Amino acid sequence: MKKEQQRKVRRIKSDNMQAFLMILPFLAGFILFSYVPIIYILRYAFTDYNGFGESNFTGLQNFVRVFQRDHDFWQSLANTVILSAGKLLVEIPLALLLAVLLNKKLKGLSFFRVTLFMPAVISAVIIGLVFSLLFASYNGMINGILQNIGLIEKPINWFKTKPKAMLILGIASVWQNYGINMIFFLMALQSIPEELYDCASIDGATGIKRFFKITLPMIAPIFQSILLMAIVGSLKVCDLVLACTNGQPGGTTEVVMTYIYKSFFGKSGRNIEVGYASSMALITAIFLGIVTVIYLKATKRLKDLEV
Amino acid sequence: MGKVKKNIFNALVYLILALFFVISFFPVFFTFMSSFKSNLEVLTTGNTLIPKHFVLENYTKAWQAADFSTYTKNSVFLSFFCVIGAILSSTMCGYAFSRGKFKGKEIIFYFMISSMFVSLGSLTLYPLLMIMKTVHLNKSLWGVIIIRVFGMNVTNLFIARGFITSIPQEIDEAAKIDGCSFFGIYRRIIFPLCKPLVATVAILAFRSAWNDYMLPMVFTMTNTSRMPLVVGIMHLKSSGEAASSWNLMLAGTAISLIPMILIYIGFNRFFISGMTAGAVKG
Repeated sequence: MKKEQQRKVRRIKSDNMQAFLMILPFLAGFILFSYVPIIYILRYAFTDYNGFGESNFTGLQNFVRVFQRDHDFWQSLANTVILSAGKLLVEIPLALLLAVLLNKKLKGLSFFRVTLFMPAVISAVIIGLVFSLLFASYNGMINGILQNIGLIEKPINWFKTKPKAMLILGIASVWQNYGINMIFFLMALQSIPEELYDCASIDGATGIKRFFKITLPMIAPIFQSILLMAIVGSLKVCDLVLACTNGQPGGTTEVVMTYIYKSFFGKSGRNIEVGYASSMALITAIFLGIVTVIYLKATKRLKDLEV
Repeated sequence: MGKVKKNIFNALVYLILALFFVISFFPVFFTFMSSFKSNLEVLTTGNTLIPKHFVLENYTKAWQAADFSTYTKNSVFLSFFCVIGAILSSTMCGYAFSRGKFKGKEIIFYFMISSMFVSLGSLTLYPLLMIMKTVHLNKSLWGVIIIRVFGMNVTNLFIARGFITSIPQEIDEAAKIDGCSFFGIYRRIIFPLCKPLVATVAILAFRSAWNDYMLPMVFTMTNTSRMPLVVGIMHLKSSGEAASSWNLMLAGTAISLIPMILIYIGFNRFFISGMTAGAVKG
């Protein structure tokens, strides 16, 4: 009897050990690839390391440079915020509208659900490249269409000035993401119990009133996480910009991720400045953290107000 | 609502959806059409959709002279190992987190989930390259594969844990009595039951590996013969011959798009359910 029990205990111990061992390689990889890079950035942010040779501790010099002299960094951060805000103002209502339409009980809507989602499976680089060609300056498709329907007389040079180039980035980004957000909203809408609408129609609520009184409050919690993901995703935009404008004209459409990447690797005629890029990365990481916290606080208050 | 009014309303719904169908497909259609144009036609008369002459040589030239055969091979290589790795990592971790009973399990789980908030996108590219340099994998796609597989994908972990938790416990209890070990139950019983999970994870992993740009780009910067498709396309764009090779770039883009779109048409259910799983549970 005692032997039997001992065997059982040994067995459980062995099972628990195996469970832990199955996770261990991934836990190690996770720490190595998620946290060690942050330590790396913290370590070099206070040095003048340039990728080769030795690094000297320079205290807060990098940060002084970012805050006092690096106008381009702040421009890239501002661009990121403007681009994100602008495109989300279009993308989120558009995705919600399409989701509401797809949630109707009509024939053939699953076809549209599948086809409208398709852009989400295409590489951001390819999207950037194709949109830069669609909006090509003199003989591009879009110029051709606009000329044909008589909206413009002469072809527009879309990538000559910053506002227009930013507009193209925004359009490409909306195209890339509206499908996936639409599906998120659709799933949220489908989780609303049918009876709620039945009650509402007895009470005489229809159309738009129904949308604001029932639909929106019911999807508010999911809305909050969809919007958070969309905001954080937009602030981290990188590939799309590299492929579409690559910061042109004259570095004015650089976003914060591309700007820092170019400092780390010495691209677009810049020097390799690992130390300096690390301090910008640190500032950006803190900025992203602050945005997330403020967002969560602000939306929590909104939800409380509703109740 | 009157019947006529309702019909008009429904027609409007279809009209709006049809408009967005066109908007969704137009850039892709445009890419395929342009990939058959001569370079001169791409550069001078980009505003006509259908090519004057279908230039099939764009594809043979891209495939042979512009090295897109190598890029495709590299993309297949990268995607293959990322997919296999994602299947193993997500089913193993999902199983261990769902059924395992060891100290600190919950803490480790939430610690790994926290990566959603510490993921800094392109900011960590350089440190990742340096980490891989210490084991001399900074100039190969193996570095990318190791980072992608062992770096863990939180969405996959969520889906896998949820799926495996929904498998009835009685099944593994029976195997346990028969003397099957913890890992044995995974290998013989749980893993074979995970087919729908494997399909979802495989498709998500394929999508991200096939479309991945920044990480493979920095790992192949000095070694063009290891570049995957997307990186190769951008490499051609930034090279000195960009203006004279738009037709090749477009053919390359089409080569990269075709498998993705075919797989999407075939398995769109898995794409949609997988890519949205993170939002609902997270």
